[in-house]
Amino acid sequence: MSGISIRAGAVIRTLAFIVLALALCGVVFELAGYSALLMLESVVEGAFLRAGGWAQSLRWALPLFITATGVAISFRCGFFNIGAQGQFYVGAICAAFVADVLGGAPAALVLPATFLAGMAGGALWALWPGYLRLRSGTDEVITTLMGNFIAALVLVYVTSGPLKDPSGTGQQAASPLLPAVYRISDSQGISPAIIGIAAAVALAMWVLVNRTPFGMLASLAGRNPTMVRFQGARLWTLGLSSFLISGGLAGLAGTIELLGPTGRIASGFLPGHGFTAVLIALVANLSVVATAVVSMLFGGLASAALYLPILAGLPAAAIDIFNASVALFITAKSGLLDRLLRAARLPT
Amino acid sequence: MTAADPPALHCRGIRVTYGEVTALADLDIAFARGAIHAVVGQNGAGKTTFARVAAGLVRPDAGSLAIDGRALRLGRVAGARAAGVELVHQSFALPPSFTVAEALEFGAGGGIGVYSRRRLLKRCRERLAALDLDVDPRRRIRDLPVEVQQGVEIARALVTDARLLILDEPTAVLPPAGIEALFERIRSLKRHGVTVILILHKIREVMAVADTISVLRGGRLVAGPIPRERADEASVAEMIVGQAAVGPVSADDTQALVGAAPVRGVATHRVPVAASPEAGETVLQLADVNTAKDPEEPPLDRVSLLVRPGEVVGVAGVQGNSQRTLVKAIAGLADVTGGDIYLNGRRASRTSAANRRALGLRVIPFERNSEGLSLTSALWENWSVRELLQQPLFSFVDPAALRRRCDEALETWGVRYASATQNAGALSGGNAQKVILAREIDDDARLIIAAQPARGLDIGATAFVWSALREAAGRGCGVLLISSDLDELFDVSHRLVVMLSGRIVAEFVPPYDIAAVGRAMTGAST
Repeated sequence: MSGISIRAGAVIRTLAFIVLALALCGVVFELAGYSALLMLESVVEGAFLRAGGWAQSLRWALPLFITATGVAISFRCGFFNIGAQGQFYVGAICAAFVADVLGGAPAALVLPATFLAGMAGGALWALWPGYLRLRSGTDEVITTLMGNFIAALVLVYVTSGPLKDPSGTGQQAASPLLPAVYRISDSQGISPAIIGIAAAVALAMWVLVNRTPFGMLASLAGRNPTMVRFQGARLWTLGLSSFLISGGLAGLAGTIELLGPTGRIASGFLPGHGFTAVLIALVANLSVVATAVVSMLFGGLASAALYLPILAGLPAAAIDIFNASVALFITAKSGLLDRLLRAARLPT
Repeated sequence: MTAADPPALHCRGIRVTYGEVTALADLDIAFARGAIHAVVGQNGAGKTTFARVAAGLVRPDAGSLAIDGRALRLGRVAGARAAGVELVHQSFALPPSFTVAEALEFGAGGGIGVYSRRRLLKRCRERLAALDLDVDPRRRIRDLPVEVQQGVEIARALVTDARLLILDEPTAVLPPAGIEALFERIRSLKRHGVTVILILHKIREVMAVADTISVLRGGRLVAGPIPRERADEASVAEMIVGQAAVGPVSADDTQALVGAAPVRGVATHRVPVAASPEAGETVLQLADVNTAKDPEEPPLDRVSLLVRPGEVVGVAGVQGNSQRTLVKAIAGLADVTGGDIYLNGRRASRTSAANRRALGLRVIPFERNSEGLSLTSALWENWSVRELLQQPLFSFVDPAALRRRCDEALETWGVRYASATQNAGALSGGNAQKVILAREIDDDARLIIAAQPARGLDIGATAFVWSALREAAGRGCGVLLISSDLDELFDVSHRLVVMLSGRIVAEFVPPYDIAAVGRAMTGAST
């Protein structure tokens, strides 16, 4: 089956990019006077080998996966919603407000309401760029990117104003820590509830993409919107739904952070979450299954980042170099490298 | 001319391959100076590649070229130009925003210099006058009618004093009257000593203008150059089509395919008995339809049109006379500002594209590769779109079943493909068109809009498309066939309307009179 061999080729290619990115990082570290080998060792050990490594990696991987599948849906439909970070923040903010207002009510009421508010908030933050895009063709890359900054500033306002923790030291503006009854995990950040939510999202998204007219038509529309329009599809419905789904999932991830590991919202918390999710979706070639695998890899890196200073004497930010080089190779994949491959095959 | 004269163009053993496709296989041919030579063949026979090799645009893998006995460096446009070879492309290459004068100067080269507008205009007027071309040099290319654009293109080619002019399918874009004017222009060039090579695929046109005929098939020279006096239409038609493809193609179709049918009183296929149009019943009715202004084409202007079950209605017209807008208006993709559209007897003017599909509308769009298929998506996905759109967006579908049904459908339609999971972009034009037919011609289809359904297809595939449309009509579908190829329209349509600048200006029934249709297409009869 050619379909399977194509898929195998894509997997091999993606792995090659990651290896190349690692090699590039190694060169950078060697030049900076650190041992590349030691770095690699400590990343692997920090992510997976040390005691509790897997759990720590999952703590980062699961929210990333949820946001990344959402990003993948809008990318599939041909809309470059890179505002996952902002949608993640607005989701968390809305969830925090609801949890605050309903404070004192039984958890059975507060938790569902908080989740709904978080998803609605994220969806709302994707709705306006989506509407502008479909209504008047406003470039969604610009609007969603701007939305990230607006959301980050709203977060600063909310955490130092309406939801300010009165007992806070003032070093970092943050909301009060939620009482334990409303938490779905401790600060370690991994619990059956979170795993269950991630599994449900994975299943739902896999079915949506591979087993519904929506998923198939969205992919077709992403590749050739004209053809799908000639077939009578409403791009409006497909596009807006994909924006809403991707925003809603980012909002869900924000809610999980609020109710789970972080327990509160703080100004500038998890600043790279949405961008890493975009990267994951691209590395995974927008497939749901691959997104799960790649999320695990990036979750591992995020958890190893905290471990790097101890073992290799590297700053935690060293991981950002790796993320950046993966991004570099992934963009090269869709541009330069593909052109080279095509040039090599066709003598036109 | 004596036998001792070296030929104007002499090709020896020219071979061109694109990847695994052999476009030209050891082509040996010589064209005498001062004559009009026609090179004919079906799509993919290697005609355009031959023209591009001669103009230095394509470097052959093997072989040599000589102009007037002097060897030419291969694959160099400048070299070919210096030797006096100019090519007028199939699709025009003039910058649309240039004025005529600027466009002519564009081709002249001639180093650095300061232009005086007055001198430029004067020089340009002289050149245009020499070609009997009546056009203001200050007008912009994009504002000119196609036949004038082509005239300017020829003028541009002659700016450098070309002695060998190659025209690639020059008649494809022209109405019948424009073709006659073009031929007159070519004859006048011949009188001025220019050798002309015409790439054509219609025998009727070849017979009208050429001194010699050469036939290409599958990248090889089948025969030629044969002097016109010694060629007869039937044998040339047979040489073009070849033995292999003749089998399933009817005699009438063969005539239409190679443009060999007589110009007056073309015999059309009889309307099948089962499909005799029942009075009153319609699958499509347009009543005074207007559309909003559109930068690309004139809007529809009170268009009224009727298609009955079992009827093939042809829409003739020079490209750009709102045929695209007509398709979009019927499909629900254009901004209709007035009038009414009825599908299958139901008023559909305000209904969505999806609802029109549900009423039995099917569209074979103009652009196979952008409007018809998603080339980077799998075949089964392309085939399944119509079915997917008939279900609720968030319902459960079984892709394995869709792939299976896609396989069945593609096999029924004789598509040559490896697997339903391969990308649509991997198919040839004919096969890709069959995938669209397999999707659009189903049991629930009531009205099929076929826009240039055979464009770019070889003879076998073209005949297949025509018979598929006829069969659909035989089952009671209405077919609206939009084409700029009169042979196609005459062969397939039961009735013919002509579009000009967004209006329907004339209607014809068989036997068609090509001269009258041509006059209507250019507005000469209104």
